Amino acid sequence: MNEMKMSFSSKQENEPFARTALIAFLMPLNPDVEEIMELKTMIAEALTNAMIHGYEGREDGCVEVCVRYEESGMVDIIVKDEGCGIADVELAMQPLYTSKAYLERSGMGMTIMSTFADEFHVESSAGAGCIVHLRKQLHGQSEFAL
Amino acid sequence: MRHQMIGNTLYFYFQGDFDNLCVQGAKQICIDLIDRYAPAVVKMDFEEVSFIDSTGIGFVLARYKQLNKMGSRLILCNLSHSNQVLFHMSGVFQVISHERNGVKL
Repeated sequence: MNEMKMSFSSKQENEPFARTALIAFLMPLNPDVEEIMELKTMIAEALTNAMIHGYEGREDGCVEVCVRYEESGMVDIIVKDEGCGIADVELAMQPLYTSKAYLERSGMGMTIMSTFADEFHVESSAGAGCIVHLRKQLHGQSEFAL
Repeated sequence: MRHQMIGNTLYFYFQGDFDNLCVQGAKQICIDLIDRYAPAVVKMDFEEVSFIDSTGIGFVLARYKQLNKMGSRLILCNLSHSNQVLFHMSGVFQVISHERNGVKL
């Protein structure tokens, strides 16, 4: 098992940094091109949700990311914020639902995470921040993987 | 992002990561260019885009609505396979067409 934790300000420019750091950390599993795209998109959605929705664009919040993987290629990603939380998680999961249409949000973030992850779980309530758990089994280019 | 107007068509060429940060920078410029040129067709070229997330989908849908109000069309060009998967998930292709060509700068 290998584990990495990082925490950073809820500034939008930290989202590409975290996306890149995640992929760099998972390189020993030798993910293939499609898996890399799916991992990057999943974490981008979780981080954007934390920054745009959780902290509502405030840049002084703290976003925590914890990534673990097993030699079998099982990857767990946990993204945590202490923002405003989600009052109705079931509603937020509906494809194309967005509470911020005026910001031109597509309402596809949850659907994308749910599609690309093997397991996807959101813990949140109003005022209580949000924890997103994403689990994905990587198969990679098996001849090179651990 | 680059752009050019040829005839009645306004072309946008995006590069790199079409993520939240990029869209925030490009959004108002695109809105203003569409308002200024009032093109009959807008073609967005994604050939040099390596990454798109839901923010990019939101941007495309919003420009589709902006153009639809003017009676103009939006066409997406040269999406990679991975990027097409994302757009397909959102049902974008029910209202916006995709083509593999376009005029290069």
